[in-house]
Parts: sequence; C-alpha cells; structure tokens
Amino acid sequence: MGIVSLINTDKLFWLGRYSERVYTTIRLFGESFDKIIDGNAEYIELFCRSLDIPNIYSSTEDYVERYLFDPQNPDSVYSNLTRAYDNAMTLREEIGSECISYIQLAIYVMNRHQGSQSPMIGLQQILDDILAFWGLADDMIPDENIRNIIKTGKRVERLDLYARLKRPRTDILREVSRLSVRISRTNLKYSSEDISRLKQLADSATTDYYSILQIVDGLVII
Amino acid sequence: MTDTRELVQHTEAINELLARYGVKFGLYKNGTFKEQLFPFDAIPRIISADDFSYLDHGLKQRVTALNCFISDIYGDKKIIRDQVVPEEFVFDSPGYLHQCEGQKPPRGIWSHISGIDLVQALDKSWFILEDNLRVPSGASYPMIARELCRRASPKTFQTNGVVDNRDYASLLRSAMDYVNTGGCTVVLTPGRYNSAYFEHSYLAEKTGAHLVSGSELTVEDGYLWFNGYDGQKEKVGTVYRRISDDYLDPLNFRADSLIGIPHLYDVFRQGHVALMNAPGNGVADDKGIYYFVPKMIRYYLGEEPILNNAPTYLPFYKDDMKYVLDHFDNLVLKDVAEAGGYGVVFGSKMTSQQKTDFIALLKKNPRRFIAQEVIDFLDLDIMDNGKPVARKADLRAYILMGEEPIVWKSGLTRFSRNPDSFIVNSSQGGGFKDTWVLSH
Repeated sequence: MGIVSLINTDKLFWLGRYSERVYTTIRLFGESFDKIIDGNAEYIELFCRSLDIPNIYSSTEDYVERYLFDPQNPDSVYSNLTRAYDNAMTLREEIGSECISYIQLAIYVMNRHQGSQSPMIGLQQILDDILAFWGLADDMIPDENIRNIIKTGKRVERLDLYARLKRPRTDILREVSRLSVRISRTNLKYSSEDISRLKQLADSATTDYYSILQIVDGLVII
Repeated sequence: MTDTRELVQHTEAINELLARYGVKFGLYKNGTFKEQLFPFDAIPRIISADDFSYLDHGLKQRVTALNCFISDIYGDKKIIRDQVVPEEFVFDSPGYLHQCEGQKPPRGIWSHISGIDLVQALDKSWFILEDNLRVPSGASYPMIARELCRRASPKTFQTNGVVDNRDYASLLRSAMDYVNTGGCTVVLTPGRYNSAYFEHSYLAEKTGAHLVSGSELTVEDGYLWFNGYDGQKEKVGTVYRRISDDYLDPLNFRADSLIGIPHLYDVFRQGHVALMNAPGNGVADDKGIYYFVPKMIRYYLGEEPILNNAPTYLPFYKDDMKYVLDHFDNLVLKDVAEAGGYGVVFGSKMTSQQKTDFIALLKKNPRRFIAQEVIDFLDLDIMDNGKPVARKADLRAYILMGEEPIVWKSGLTRFSRNPDSFIVNSSQGGGFKDTWVLSH
C-alpha cells in the first residue's frame, strides 16, 4: 500500500460521497418527477423534506431547472457533480485519467442539457457515466486502499441518504453490512464501536434512523 | 511522402477525446479563473530524420553550454572575468539568485528539462527564439494528442514511419531517477488553479510520482518528507517542482509564499534532495542572456554553434542601440522580464506616439529590452472551417538531461489562430499540433 496524503485521503473519500450523492439523488428525482408529470406537485415538498434540503422552488419548472442544473444552488445535482469533479481532477495520479474521464463526461452532459424539457434523457447518461466511473475505479485502481476509500465514501453517503429517506430495514441492513466490510479494508481512522452500534441499530425491529445518521456523519475522521 | 488526410478527417473526434480527458489550461480573465480546452489541429508538423538529427546535435550542444554557464555563474564566474558576458546581464537578471552562490546541485545538473523554442524560416533554416529553463511546460499536450491520434487513425501511423513519442514519461522518469538522492519522487504543484495544472497531474500519473502541494511536504532532520494520512512518511529524493524559484521556500526566498516548503532550499543545499529544475537556473533563460548563448558555446565547448539565434541586438551596447533606432520599424522588441507572449511589440505596428514613448523607455532602461529581426516564419497549414489555411507556428523542443542530454523525438508545435499574429501562446488564443519526427 503506497502512502496517500491527508489531502488526497479526504478528496478520495468525498469523491466517493459526491458521486454517490449525484447517483442516488438523480434516481430519487426521477421517481418524484414521474409523479409530478401527473400533476402531483406536492411531491416537490415531499422530496425536499425527505432529503432535508430547503424547498426553494416556486413551480414545477423551477424545481426541474434549479434542482438539477443551477450551479448557484448548493443542493442541486449540478453542484454535487461539480464537487465530485473538483475532487476527481486533483486525483489523477491516484485514480488515473480513464476514471476521471467519466466524471468529466458527466459534467459535459450536465452542461449540454441545461434547460432541457426532457431532463431524464441527459440524467440517464450521467447515471451511466457514474456507473462507468465506479466500474473503472474497481477495475483499474491498483491500490486497494485508494479503491476502498472511494467506496467507503460511497457507502457512507448511501447509508446517510437511506437513513434520511427512512428506507426499509432490509436496505439499511444491507448498507451497514457493505460499509462495515469496506471501511475495514482502508487505513481510515474510525471507531469499531461505531460500526458495532450501527449493526445493532440496523438489526433492531424498529429502525432508529436519527441515531444511524448521527453515527454515520461522524464515523470517519479525516 | 507522408499522408495525413485520413488523420485530419478525425480532427473533431480527437478534440472530443482531448476534452474527455480534461486536456485544458487555466486562465485568469478579469480576476476570474477559467479552464479552456487547448484547440488541437490534426495536421502535424513533420520533421524528417535528417532534420531531426541536425536539431538533435544543435540542441544538445546548446543545453550543455547553458548548463556549463549556470555552474560557472554560481561558481568561478570565469565567463564574466574573461569578459565574454557582462556582469550587468548576470547580476541584474531576475533569474539570478544570490542564494545559489557556491551551490552544486545533484550530479551537477541545473536544467533537467529544457524547453527550447525554435522557428523555421521560409528557407527552412531553424532559429532559436528562446531558451526556457525554469519550468518549461507543454510536453504533456503532444504526448496525449499522439495517443488519441493513434486511436483515431491507426492507419496513418502504420504507413507514415512516425517515431513514437509516447516515451516522454519514461525519459522524464529516468531524469528524475538519475538525480534522486534516495527517496520517492514528487511533482510539486502550486495547485489546481495554475494554468498548467492538467500537465502537472498528467505527468505525475504517467511517471508514477506523487502529485503534491507544499502542505503535504515537511522538512525534518535535514531531509524532506512526504506525509501520509495515517502518520506514515516517506523520504523524498526528487522534487519535480512546477512552482517558480521565488515561491519554493518562504525562509530562503519570498517570505510571503504560502505554497512553498520552509527550509526546502536548505535540504537541497545539503544535497539531500534534488530539485528539478534547479533553483537559480533562470539566470540562463533571461532574454538578455540569450544573446550570449552562441558565445557561451564557443567559450565552454570550443565549438561553433550548430543552431543560430534569431538576429538579436542589445540596446545596452551603443552600436546595437543605434541599429535598433535606425531600423525600429523592422524589429520586434521584447521585454526581458516578460514571458508567455507578453511584453512583445512590433516596431511596425506602433503608432507614432507609442513609438516615441517606447524609445524614451528604451533609452532610459536599455538593459530591459532586446530587439530581434522579424523572421518570416515558415507558415504551417491548419484546418479552418474545413479548409487549410496558413498560420504562424513555433516549435518547443524538449531536452532532458540525465547522464547525457536526450532530445525528445517530438515537441510542442503551437500556432496562432489569428492570421495577422505572430503570437502563438495558448494564453493568447493559440492552438497546438503534434510534432512528428520521421524514422526516415
């Protein structure tokens, strides 16, 4: 295992988190957008509440444009993708040009589809790019620690999102299990007691989402 | 006879691939940082094997002499004592660093990577325009462009006998290893908002070096260390630094540098790390010193220069000042302190008032300027809206110094997209081409 600096460890972890945030929030957006097509505008409020982000959108059109494409909106998919890109492009020597290229391609797609009336077409390409990025990271990054730091970021983010969304116990159980395996393969500093506690919380009959969120957010110390 | 038609048909696809891999450069415009794609033209500059052999000899000779000059300046100063180079041109140069006096860098190498800018005149003779010894950039662009051109048009490379240029990373790595004092190799970058950040990260990837900022390195016990997240640290043997001398070490150079490493220069001085290129070598790439390079070649190597300078005048000398004033409209004037195509003015393009003001400035501070004959460059074709048009272009050749100097069998060909301009710099809207060296 080669030495990875503190700065790059932080970037790898957040690259994993932001790429996952883009991926999962696009899928969630797709679900809510499908309902909004039928005139159920209340799903915008529901969507924002479930992700714990402010509902700043004045109409369905405003929601589509600003939640997806507005670089000034810190909660937009665009902003999250830009953060993934900002991290990725400074990690070329750790993860390779081929991996980075898929994040770069996703940025181009995002820019091309600004103002689109059919946002899901472009978003599908972004999902494909993110999946390709993860696949390549798995396949091409030789350093196990580097690979697993990205994946730990991804697992932390997914568990965070699933807890916010109050996903079924089975989903939470699966994500806790994946996170615990992944983080143990890194040199990241974390408390194994926190992992045990997460497992207990996921395993209990009634899921305490709030406690899970609290633990997940402070799990990794960088 | 080379045939590039098939390759040129793929120009758009190659540019799309370059965009995919983030081949960009950064620019500050009105205080805002912007990344721009570097436009690529697929018609290559083609250099025959014979022509390259001539350039190879000339460039090796020049870089060897420049290296001797820097060693001499920070050592015995024989060339000044022997009145070959006036001391004003050395000690007034912003590239001269008094801190380097008496310094002997690992293996005696001061310029590990030299970027020598050349142009070809209409009669196909080559002229040296500039020596870039500090942190010459640009090699990554033809490197990646060739990779993508081969993908786009394999047939072109099956049939044209083009020497593969994708060995740059291994040549660079060899140069890094040759001077390594024992430890890992890092590429030191000022950060992602530097104009050449793509290159820093790409060369780090391709040479297998760590890409680091100053905050990831520390000096302890007289050595330089690369610090890991979990408290591990690794000794550093070579720093390929892409930040300028002034900012390397706030305790030895500019105290306000936030990107340098305190005491780095002390470690270098003790011979415990190699800095490439070595601090202080800017004394030899000053535009004023350029005038003296042919004299250096004769002085240190006892040889006649193989490659010619563009005819150059130093207004510092009385006779040259007279010539410059008599032929002002035919000359290009360069501020020795500027780079990147800035500080370059053509006498013929000035208004009468501008001329008067400039001549007053020239007389007040003659050391600040050089004047050169305007060489009628051999234009190269570029594709513009599907049609070939002729544009000014230069060539940056890269010479890597290890046990022996090696001239990379390629180079960065930059061109002006503006039909009326001689300025080819990317920061001023220029594009680039691949440079082919033929095997025959």
